[in-house]
Parts: sequence; C-alpha cells; structure tokens
Amino acid sequence: MWKQCVGALASALTEQQLNTWIRPLQPVEDGNGAVRLLAPNRFVVDWVKAHCLDRIRSWWAEHGGTREVYLEVGSRRRPTPAVITSGDGEPKAGAPQLFGSRLNAAFTFETFVEGKSNQLARAAAMQVGQNPGTAYNPLFIYGGVGLGKTHLMHAIGNAILSRDANAKVAYVHSERFVGDMVRGLQHNTINEFKRTYRSLDTLLIDDIQFFAGKERSQEEFFHTFNALLEGQRQIVLTCDRYPKEVSGLEERLKSRFGWGLTVAIEPPELETSVAILMSKAAAEGEQLPEEVAFFIAQRIRSNVRELEGALRRVIANARFTGQPITLEFAKEALRDLLALQDKLVTVENIQKTVASYFKIRVSDLLSKRRSRSIARPRQIAMALAKELTTHSLPEIGDLFGGRDHTTVLHACRRVKELRETETRVAEDYNNLLRTLTS
Amino acid sequence: MPPREERGRDRLPAQLALPLTLEAHAAFDTLVDGQNAAAIAHVRSLADSRAGLVWVWGGHGCGKSHLLQAACRAADAAGKRTMYLPLARTDIVPEALAGLDALDFLALDDLEHRAGRPEWEHALFDVLNAYLVGGRSLVMAASAPPGAVGFRMPDLESRAAAAAVYRLHALDDDDQVEALRRHARGRGLELDPAAARFLQSRVTRDMAALCAWLHRLDTAALAAQRRITIPFIRASLEAPPEPSD
Repeated sequence: MWKQCVGALASALTEQQLNTWIRPLQPVEDGNGAVRLLAPNRFVVDWVKAHCLDRIRSWWAEHGGTREVYLEVGSRRRPTPAVITSGDGEPKAGAPQLFGSRLNAAFTFETFVEGKSNQLARAAAMQVGQNPGTAYNPLFIYGGVGLGKTHLMHAIGNAILSRDANAKVAYVHSERFVGDMVRGLQHNTINEFKRTYRSLDTLLIDDIQFFAGKERSQEEFFHTFNALLEGQRQIVLTCDRYPKEVSGLEERLKSRFGWGLTVAIEPPELETSVAILMSKAAAEGEQLPEEVAFFIAQRIRSNVRELEGALRRVIANARFTGQPITLEFAKEALRDLLALQDKLVTVENIQKTVASYFKIRVSDLLSKRRSRSIARPRQIAMALAKELTTHSLPEIGDLFGGRDHTTVLHACRRVKELRETETRVAEDYNNLLRTLTS
Repeated sequence: MPPREERGRDRLPAQLALPLTLEAHAAFDTLVDGQNAAAIAHVRSLADSRAGLVWVWGGHGCGKSHLLQAACRAADAAGKRTMYLPLARTDIVPEALAGLDALDFLALDDLEHRAGRPEWEHALFDVLNAYLVGGRSLVMAASAPPGAVGFRMPDLESRAAAAAVYRLHALDDDDQVEALRRHARGRGLELDPAAARFLQSRVTRDMAALCAWLHRLDTAALAAQRRITIPFIRASLEAPPEPSD
C-alpha cells in the first residue's frame, strides 16, 4: 500500500523530492490500525509534515486505510551504530547491548598485512587482543591517515569478542564520544553516559586528535580514562600524530596516553602495498597478477585507502566487462585516476611543497646556497622529483637552477642513505611523498 | 509512461504546471553510457545488489545528478531504503545527515558545496565512517575527486578516497542526441534525430540545459497540440523564455 501511495505522490512531487524526502520513509503498522512512517532524522520529518503529510493521510483514508498516519524518527532495522557486536552485523544472543559503532568483521589480524612499516603496531595489538587490560594499557597507535590504525583497533575488538562473546567492547570514534556527551548534557542523561562508558571492559577510541580544543569532552574523557584504567579495563587509542604533538590537548591527558605503549604505523613500503593489494583482491575473490599489484602500488603511494579505492575500480571494471585483469586492463581502468596524479606531481609542485614544508623559499632551493638548512631540502626535492616524475636527471638539474645531472644523482643517493640512517629524514621524506601523491 | 496522446487527454490544465524537469526522467533507461559505462555499471550494481562506495566527479552537466537519482530509483525498486541528498540546496543543513546510517542506499550530491566547512565535514565524516563498515552503499558526487574537492579534514579526504573514484565525462554530440531522444521517449514523445540535432546546435550543449529545453518544448507543444519539429523548435527558440520552469 505504501508503494501505491508513493506512486500517487509521484504525480505531485519531482523525482528529486521523492528521492530526498519520501523514499527514506519506512512504513510500520503499529497493530492498532495506525501507520507510523519512520524517517531517518528530524529534518525529513519536518519537511514531510510541512509538505505532504496531509496528502498522505488523505490518500491512505481514500484507499480503505486509516487516516492515522504518524511521522517519527526511527528505523525498523536497528541503525548500525547503536549496538556492539562481534562483527557479523547482529548482536550475539546474550551479548550486552551497548553503544558505539559496529566492528567490521573483515578487520582481523589475519587480514592485516604485515610489513616493516606496521609490524610493531600489529604485534602490540595482538598482545592486547589476547590479554586485554594487562598487556599494554593504554595502547596508543599513531600514524597518518589510511594506514591501518582503525583496522588494528577493530582487530583487537574482534579478537577480544572471539574469546569472550560477552565482553563489553565499544568501538567509538572520538567525534561520537563528543556528540554523545553533548547529547547527554542536553537531555540531562550525562550520568547514564558516564555509567555506560565506565562499565566497559574495553574501550576502543579512534582519532583522538578530534578532542583537541574541546575542553569539556577532554575533562569527561579524562575521568572515563582513569576509571577504566583503575579497573584494569583495556583502552586503545588512535591518533594521527604522536600524543605530545597534538595541540589543544591537555597535558594530563597527553601524559596518561604515554603510560602504556605508544606505537607508530608508517606508510607501507612498496612490497607491503603489493601484498595488501593482493590480499584485498583475494578477499574479493579475485586473482590479482603480481605485475598489476606492483603497477598500482607504484602509482598510488599516499595511503592504503587510496590503494583500496583503485583496486575497487579495477575489480568492478573487470566484472562489468568480463575481461581478465591484466596490466593493460588496469592501466586503462585507472587512466583518469592516474592522469590526475600525473598532473599534480610536477617539479614545480614538488619545489613548492618542499619549500613550504621546510619553511624556506622556492628561490632558496634554486639558489647556489649550500648551507645545510637549504641543501638538505634541495636534495630531498631532487630525490622526490626523480621518484615522482618522468623527467630525466639532466632535466631535473636544469629545473633546480641549472645544476649538473651528477648533482641530482648525488642528491638521490645521499637521500637514500639518510632515509636508512636518520629517522627524521625518513619521516620528512615520507610525509612529503604522501602530501604530493594524495 | 503512457503514449503522448493519452497523456494529453488525461492531463488537466492545472497539471501542466507540474514541475517535470530533468529528474522526472532520471532513470537508468534514459542514461547513455558514453565514456562512462564502467561508472554507471558500478553504481547500478550497488543499487541492485552489491554494497560499496563510489565517488563520481565531473563538470556541470556530465550526468552526476542523473546517475545518482537513477540509482536511488533503482535501489528503491529493489526494496532498499534509499535517499538522495543534493547538498547544493541551501535549505539542507548538516542535521539532515543525522541517522542516515539507517538507510541501505545513500546518494550524496554536490559535495563540493560543503567541503571546507567544519560542521559539514564532521557530519560527512560520521556518515562515511558508518558506511565504511560495509553492508550498505554510499554513492557520492562532486565536481572534483576526493583529493581536490577542498576537504579540510585529512581523515575525511582519506576515507572518501577508499571509494571507487570515477570521472564522469560529458557525452559527445552523438551520445547527447541519443540521450535527448531517450528523455523525450520517457515523456512519451518521439523526437526526430534531426530535430534533436537542430536543438543541440542552438542551445547550451550540456544535458541539463538540453533537458530543460526539452521540458519547455514538450509543454509548449502539448499546449499548442503540435509535434516537436524543427520549425516548431525554431519558433520556440525565438519566443521569449517562460518566466520559470
């Protein structure tokens, strides 16, 4: 009957209005003859009430139904971020009904591809998954976007729940923590909020850099943190940078974050990227030839999420066209994605990015100055130009103030050595690489 | 859609003012693949059966909104709870993104209009996190790819980049004519290829503009009880524009 009602509304509304306001509604009969239309949020409720609820009621009554049609916010299916589960989409029988987001069942330690860039973080996370509350508490995982922090966090949650289905595990994005707290304050349910959070066995809290500058949330989180730690409950935190480097975060929180173990995840090296691609393709039931994996990994260097995005496209194209995935096929499938990257990475762009990163001027990079504060960024910029563009060494030399190609060659060798021996140089180089290719 | 004559008989004068524009026929039937076959097939598979994330981008009139609305219509027909949210509309506020994780298929259009605005980026971030868990589909459209749309939150940009990103290309002349004829068929009228080319060569050559013209011509032809022929198009082009569609 609802379908027919929507059909009738179609004559009075545009397709856009139907798609925006009517199709999200879910009809539910309440058993007393009345019909409740469930909307995803208050915004939809208000629009439908103002524009077509009367029409819906009239139609329903004219077609032998009730005029009692109500609108409210809700869903027949429980919205995903309302339960904690072991990851199969529905809570296990008897599992505590709490809050937070659903754990992704696909994010386990088995599906996490290990490489030099992440092995310490993975090992620590596995320890925590096996011995929550005792191994490393809190476990603080930090690193750039899209490198696998959330994957490890979900893997910890899944591991804990696989050993004890009744464990109270909550995976919460810090934005959500803030939102829940604000709602608690608004609706006078802050005590319930505190009780719920403090009753957990394991709290997995993602992207804590979002706490920066939010003093009230930090205060609340500080007390939650203390309560959980005192009760030997496990806390796992992720952040996009080292805790001390998060500005706008209280010192007492920063200090507490360092009480357990702090581990970094670095961008994956080429071989790990290849392994990640092959593993993800296998999970999709596709065989990805190694040369294709190398091609994608070489061209998309910024982070794992972009690798996934590219792989999704190649697989979707292969399924759509029925063609096998070959190197030529992948090149064609990713043509515009790669063209975009090629367009972005020019020597000029590299020079600008490097100069801005080291807080010097582009003209310094092109000058004859040989002081360390200029020469090192210049060498790094040259090495990046060699890695990210197709320019020859003489061309790169020309673009750096008319230098000889042997200077470029020396710079590339020197940067390679320094990346292996000096962490700071390796970090700078990786940060720049990520910025330029994202 | 009933044949043209039948529609003419059934329509009451008041109904002539109904807001039938491009989106009234935004279905997969009226979409022409052009160079976008892979993107269309991917989005269609999400509407029909699969779950996943897609980001389509391209210039004005390349068919982003059409694709998203066609997908919503198809997802609805497949029994999915679906929603299309055009973020360029000024009456849509960040709160409109709350609770959207209850949907099976969500289409977010015009993302470039909200990129760079913290309250919107936080709301979008919540939506993306919910859909990244899997099991449902999110199709996003913008004028640029995730890395260039102007997001300030690196986490949001990174999560958006996990989608399969496609550039939508504007249709070439032949495909545009074919698309226009399909739109006409969706309205129950047969548009001669020569008439379609005549129109195409005289107005802005993007599908949004062509469809707006088709709507005007259809309305005028119905009122005048005429067929849409080259002379009729010529006369209509010379006539002053209607106050609004």
